[in-house]
Amino acid sequence: MQIIRVEGLSKNYGENTVLSNFSFEVNKGEVIAIIGPSGSGKSTMLRCLSLLEKIDTGNVTVGGRVMVETGADGKAQYASEKELKKIKLQMGMVFQNFNLFPHFSVLRNITEAPVHVLGISQIEARKIAIELLDKIGLSEKVKSYPWQLSGGESQRVAIARALAMKPDILFFDEPTSALDPELTGEVLKVMKNLAAENMTMVVVTHEMGFAREVADRVIFMDKGKIVEEGSPDDIFVSSENERTQSFIKGFYV
Amino acid sequence: MLFTKYLVAFLGSAEINAFITQWGLLLRGAFTSIQIFALTLLFSLPLGLLVALGRMSKKKWLSELLKFYILIMRGTPLILQIMFVYFAPYYLFDLSLYDRFTAVIVAFTINYAAYFAEIYRGGIESIQQGQYEAASVLGFSKVQTLIKIILPQVIKRILPSVGNEVITLVKDTALANIIGVSELFRVTKNETNRTAKVTAFFYAGIIYLTLNWIVTKVMNSLEEKLDYYR
Repeated sequence: MQIIRVEGLSKNYGENTVLSNFSFEVNKGEVIAIIGPSGSGKSTMLRCLSLLEKIDTGNVTVGGRVMVETGADGKAQYASEKELKKIKLQMGMVFQNFNLFPHFSVLRNITEAPVHVLGISQIEARKIAIELLDKIGLSEKVKSYPWQLSGGESQRVAIARALAMKPDILFFDEPTSALDPELTGEVLKVMKNLAAENMTMVVVTHEMGFAREVADRVIFMDKGKIVEEGSPDDIFVSSENERTQSFIKGFYV
Repeated sequence: MLFTKYLVAFLGSAEINAFITQWGLLLRGAFTSIQIFALTLLFSLPLGLLVALGRMSKKKWLSELLKFYILIMRGTPLILQIMFVYFAPYYLFDLSLYDRFTAVIVAFTINYAAYFAEIYRGGIESIQQGQYEAASVLGFSKVQTLIKIILPQVIKRILPSVGNEVITLVKDTALANIIGVSELFRVTKNETNRTAKVTAFFYAGIIYLTLNWIVTKVMNSLEEKLDYYR
């Protein structure tokens, strides 16, 4: 079942084309890894899907709801605020820099949105948060503040915060790029567990090992375009595309 | 022994009565100063936030208008602004809108709101974009984001600068004497004239300093209170 469908998406910053005529879809339960060199538009792609950036043209449908479509004038037309809010709640996002709320405890970082956006009770939200913290191995950090956490712990809390909203799909924007190498493992482990539970995920990453092991599908991007798309083996082992080969070689030298 | 002798002589004299009377007058003046201080903060802190938000608005006419307002408020002496607020309605429109005390509160409020607005703006602009983005993807509305996520962090960051302004405000209340409000400084001047002695000035200094010592303590304890996060 398709959960996200992107057709002919283009995005420019002034005269700079960041994404051009981009199309792909995400099926329920799928893990998609988006790889590619810096500046290839990977993160912008996710930011457009999560409504942090606006696109110039293209159609995006999320869970059967039209988020944006190209109008008669050739420009992107977004759905109503009300509709966009509903769409937003289907998606969760994990950032490179965690972006935890520093003035809230770990618990409140996780419960604040469920209580004040979804309107569930404090008690219920707490229960969900504690379950999630248990699952990511941070039960003892309930009362800690973000400054007391390591990078890996912060990112795991950020994942729990996103999961507490019970999204249908989770985006990860280079979730391990700001971490010390020895801390990436604990975050990747949480992500692998999510994948095993059939969480739908789109992961922008430089972790080739993760992309190869966990992803169902890998998209290789360069200069705002999809160069190649396929199973991890298609991309990492048997790709005949020169650009893909040289990018991947760069990681294993 | 010597001290006791002087103390007995002092307590028995008319000087003690004069001393008590003078302090009574000075403290009553100080009470008016404190009223100016408290009411100014009460009104200018929220007004300053509204000005800051308008100043950062994408509506060009609004932000330009408020930039101009801030320029006037910061670019002219407060003492002139007090006189303008008090006299202008009368001389320009033949209206007497308010008494002296109210005029002082209005003038101080619009002046301090301009300074606070710039402090708020600096604080709000110093919050990382990521905080807004995290709030947005979690579905918080703009108002929720401002009130729950941004402002609490802003308050912590701007507290030292706000403390500076608050301390200046304690001393600025003396400017209210220009339109004849009987606050501490005006009372003190009257006292030096009446007694032909300058000791009242010294006492006034002690009172202002004491008030600011209290303000400093309060600001410090607020900072400590917000020390639980970084």
